[in-house]
Amino acid sequence: MGSDPRLGLLLALADDELIMGHRLSEWTGWVPYVEEDLAMSSIAQDELGHARALYEIVSSIDGQDVDALALGRAADEYRNAVLCERPNRDYAYTVARHWLYDTADDVRLAALDATTFKELREAIEVFRLEERYHLEHARLWFRRLAEGPVEARRRLADALEAAIGEALALFEPLPEENALLADGTLPRAHEEMLADWLAVIGADLDAAGLDYVLAGGDEGSDAEMIPTSAGAIEADGDARARLQVPGLARRDGRWAHEGAFAGAGGRHGQHSEDFEPLWTEMTALYRAHPGASW
Amino acid sequence: MVTRALTEAGVLAALDEVMDPEIPSCSVVDLGIVERVAVTGDAVEVDLLPTFSGCPALDVIGRDVARAVEQLGARTQVRWVRTRPWTTDRITERGRARLAEYGIAPPGSPVVVELGRPDPIACPYCGARATEEQSAFGPTPCRAIRYCPACRNPFEAFKPKG
Repeated sequence: MGSDPRLGLLLALADDELIMGHRLSEWTGWVPYVEEDLAMSSIAQDELGHARALYEIVSSIDGQDVDALALGRAADEYRNAVLCERPNRDYAYTVARHWLYDTADDVRLAALDATTFKELREAIEVFRLEERYHLEHARLWFRRLAEGPVEARRRLADALEAAIGEALALFEPLPEENALLADGTLPRAHEEMLADWLAVIGADLDAAGLDYVLAGGDEGSDAEMIPTSAGAIEADGDARARLQVPGLARRDGRWAHEGAFAGAGGRHGQHSEDFEPLWTEMTALYRAHPGASW
Repeated sequence: MVTRALTEAGVLAALDEVMDPEIPSCSVVDLGIVERVAVTGDAVEVDLLPTFSGCPALDVIGRDVARAVEQLGARTQVRWVRTRPWTTDRITERGRARLAEYGIAPPGSPVVVELGRPDPIACPYCGARATEEQSAFGPTPCRAIRYCPACRNPFEAFKPKG
C-alpha cells in the first residue's frame, strides 16, 4: 500500500462495508420470512456497492484494480473492524450488530460529510441517501426484539453484551489519524465520533431499558432484566456497577470512552480467529481464477 | 451501415430504446440514470448513475447501453458514476406513467401536504391512496413492498430516494 494516509481511511470504510455486506449476504435464503430475506439481501448489496465506490477512489489514487482490492489482498491487509467479521450467530446477534454498526456508520458518515476530500464527500452523499433505510431497518428490529417477548429481549441483550465492546473499536483511531485531522480529511477525530455515537446508543438503550448491557453484569433471571436506569448505577463500591465493557465509563450521566479498545486491531490488519474462514470463502473464486472477467 | 453524424440527441434517442432489465416498461432515459452523453467525432462517452449502489443489474444495463450506442457506429465508453446521487425526482413523467403501467407505484411526491404527512403512494391496481408500507426492501434494491387494504393486494413501489 502506498503512503497516502487517505488510503487507510478509505480501506477502513470500504472493508467494513465489504465484510458487513458479506456477512449479511449469508442470510440470503435462510431468513425465516421472505420480507426479511429481501431486506438482508438488499442491505448486503448496498454495502457491497458502497465498498466498490470506495475501492474506486482507492484505485484512482494508487492504481490498484477494484476487484483485486476487494478480493485479492492477503487477510492481514484488510482494515475492517473485528466486529464486522464475527459470524452471524443467531438473528438477535445479527440485529444487535446491524444496529450497532449502522448507528456508528451514521455518526461517521455525518462527520465525514464535512471532509475536505472531495471524492469521498461526493461518495458519502450517495451513501447517506441509502444508509437511511439501513438505519431505519436496524432501529425497527432493535425495538421489535427489545419490546419482547421475553425470549427475544433476552437474546437481544445477550447479543448486545457480546457485540458492544467490539463495536467501540469501529472508532479505533487510524494509524494516520493525525495527518488526516491536520488536512481536514477527517473533520472529527475518531474519539470525538465515538463520544457522539455513545450518546446516540445510550439514549436508545436507555429508552429500551437495556442500558445495563453497558454497565450491568447482571445475568440470570428475567426479573433482573427489568429496566435499570444507568443513571442509578453507583460509580464505586457496588459490584453491580462494575463496568463490563472495557474502556467504557459513565461520567456526568453520559457514557464515555477511556483507555483501551476491546477487539481493536482491525485498522492495523489484526483480525480475530473468525476472519480467516470468512476470507477463505469470500476470496475462493477470485483466487481460483485470477484475472477472470465475469 | 450508413454513418450519420453522431449527435447527443441521436445517442439519447438510441438510449431511449434501452429498457431496464428489471422494469422492462421503462428505458434508462425514463429512469433518469443517464447522467451525461458526450460526443466527440465518432467517440461517445456515456455516464450512468446507479439508482441504488447495490443494483445487481448494472453490468447488464451497461452492456445494453454500450451495444445500443455501438449500433450507431460509434466507439463507446460507458461508465457508472458512483459519486453523484441519483434521486427519484430524476424519473421522467413518462417514466412514472410507465412504472405504474408495469404495476410499480411511482415514488410519492416529495411535497409535504396537509397534516405534515408525505403524499401517500397510490395503489397501482385500484388507485386507493391509503396504502401501507410493508417493507422498505423489495425484489430489487430500488423497490419497496406495500399493501393496499382497499383491494387487498400487495404491490411494489419505487423506493423514494433524495
